[in-house]
Amino acid sequence: MIVCVAVVGHQNNPLYIQSFTEADDALKLHHIVHCSLDVVDERVNNPKKSGPTLNETFLGLLYPTENYKVYGYLTNTKVKFILVTTDLDVRDADVRNFFRRFHSAYVDAVSNPFHVPGKKITSRTFAERVSNIVKSFGLSSTG
Amino acid sequence: MGREVSESCVESLMTEIVSSYCNHLYANKPELAARRIEAIGYQVGHQLSERYTMDRPRFSDHLEAIKFICKDFWTELFKKQIDNLKTNHRGTFVLQDNQFNWLSHMSIEPSSQNSGSVQDPSTMAESKAAQATGMYLYFPCGIIRGALSNLGIPCAVSADISNLPACSFVIRIKA
Repeated sequence: MIVCVAVVGHQNNPLYIQSFTEADDALKLHHIVHCSLDVVDERVNNPKKSGPTLNETFLGLLYPTENYKVYGYLTNTKVKFILVTTDLDVRDADVRNFFRRFHSAYVDAVSNPFHVPGKKITSRTFAERVSNIVKSFGLSSTG
Repeated sequence: MGREVSESCVESLMTEIVSSYCNHLYANKPELAARRIEAIGYQVGHQLSERYTMDRPRFSDHLEAIKFICKDFWTELFKKQIDNLKTNHRGTFVLQDNQFNWLSHMSIEPSSQNSGSVQDPSTMAESKAAQATGMYLYFPCGIIRGALSNLGIPCAVSADISNLPACSFVIRIKA
């Protein structure tokens, strides 16, 4: 199950962060997302380590914690997408697919002429689309 | 996906943007009008670059980003690539389009050619033409600047129309 997704701008400013848990652990999840930003920077600045994934938008598994797996995605415009999931065996293809759909939802949201670049995304349509993508991710990985 | 936009509509809109900013909103301040038009282009370029770079790996250097502008970005906008790219390898790039679409259907107002009474009429008309077309180039300049800034390359873009209908865009990357 995906517990948290986030969009982070090029100056590491949060553009959108949403957790999908019943429990009151939003702060913990935000903390995990925050930590992952350093890993993203490390991957990008030391491309040797990441090897074949050089310059690919999908950064793969950033780091595993006890209960979560954190995946990252970095666009050409230096916008980061972070995904926190509790699933322990996640297929790479599923995550890639998730990020692709997430990215296109983001692109549609920022193409709104009333959206101010660099500001938080407040669009309800975007929130709805993201929660749909998150829901369908659960389905495709279990079924 | 891949929705199409009528070319003539875009051209009419462009013409109207320029004329309303130059003749109504900022009639006495051409520089301010130019800045506003450039800012609209900047926003458009900023958003378009987000969309058009979606399915490609990240660019490793400036040249790669500029090449993207010349090839894929220009193809999306004008259905053709930039014809010539020059660089001094120190942050200045010149993109030349031999038949710039947004200018190729424009002609100079005939009345402006009659008004040259003191000066030589042909040079007068030419400078007027340059001034008038210059206004229409702030928008594409803004698009290029917006796209590059969004890709993490701050720059200044200007246009050169010394030999119409060819049109050159000069990109100076800020160090």
